[in-house]
Amino acid sequence: MSRLLLIRVLTEVAEHGGGGGHEGRPEIANFITLLNTLFHGEGLAGMLLHYQAVVFAWMVVGIIAFFAYLSSRNRQLVPGSLQNLVEMVVEGLYNFFVGILGPQGEKLVPFLGTLFVYIFVMNIFGLVPGMFSSTSNLNVTLALAICVFVYVQYIGIRRNGLLGYLWHMAGSPTSVVEWLLVPLNLPIHIIGELARPVSLSLRLFGNITGEDVLIAVFIGLGIASLSFLKLPVGVPLHVPFIFLAILTSLIQALVFALLSTVYLSLMLPHEEGHN
Amino acid sequence: MHYTTALSFALPLSLGIAAFGSAFGLGRAVSAAMDSMGRQPDAAGKIQVGMIIGCALIEALTIYALVTVFVLQGKIG
Repeated sequence: MSRLLLIRVLTEVAEHGGGGGHEGRPEIANFITLLNTLFHGEGLAGMLLHYQAVVFAWMVVGIIAFFAYLSSRNRQLVPGSLQNLVEMVVEGLYNFFVGILGPQGEKLVPFLGTLFVYIFVMNIFGLVPGMFSSTSNLNVTLALAICVFVYVQYIGIRRNGLLGYLWHMAGSPTSVVEWLLVPLNLPIHIIGELARPVSLSLRLFGNITGEDVLIAVFIGLGIASLSFLKLPVGVPLHVPFIFLAILTSLIQALVFALLSTVYLSLMLPHEEGHN
Repeated sequence: MHYTTALSFALPLSLGIAAFGSAFGLGRAVSAAMDSMGRQPDAAGKIQVGMIIGCALIEALTIYALVTVFVLQGKIG
């Protein structure tokens, strides 16, 4: 009975692996879509499918939190291997972000570091068989970008004061000419600020969805090339694109965190003589 | 001309043009990074990070074209 079920599931994967998916985009099956083909979209399976991005995002949060808990209990001065690895990552991220923000950016590193780790693990999670990248959903990336936008404005108001923030938004006018140009500078700055979450979210969404669609198309191609056998087997043509997807996931997480850092550094009070 | 014909013609063409433009930009960025890395091998790490970020920003414009294709491709057929 369980072997019949397994063959049925594999055949469903072979049929739907290169096709299906909403809006006609080819999509790889994950365990929630497999549950839905078994239970035909009713009850719990249907609800999980509706919220699949949220379910996988919470799974990633659980994994990161568990990993953090494991590495920080019984902290020792001479660290064991897991604590050492996590300390390396944290110190590397700290040096990287403080290198851009300067020493006044020390308090902002937890947000940016978490952003990087969360986005990186979410991107990579889709490459695990049976899992899904939540960042291939525009709602998730837009939510992250809006968090960054709100945080940047909050830090701007907090560090510069409300009047300093408005003065910065008007283009930091110091001379009479610059004060006269404020009605031109202010809308330009505001539109620039609003364009940032749009570009951040679309960049991350487009890259991750693009790599998912690419892998799905090549899986479909690989299965179609052996379709004459009528078995759920295929040539693994998608393997080079898995490596490309790992690289893209890392780079896109880095770019998201780095651009957030740059937006923060532009909002902070500029110091004299920074390199 | 039916709108599906127009879309089927325009979408791949738009992506091709976007890819062409970004290939130009990326080629210039990477070649400048390679030149400066050869001139100052000590600064290679910083230059490499800057190059990756610059490439991601240039690539983003092609990705906007790809996102437009994703949005519109459901309307064909």
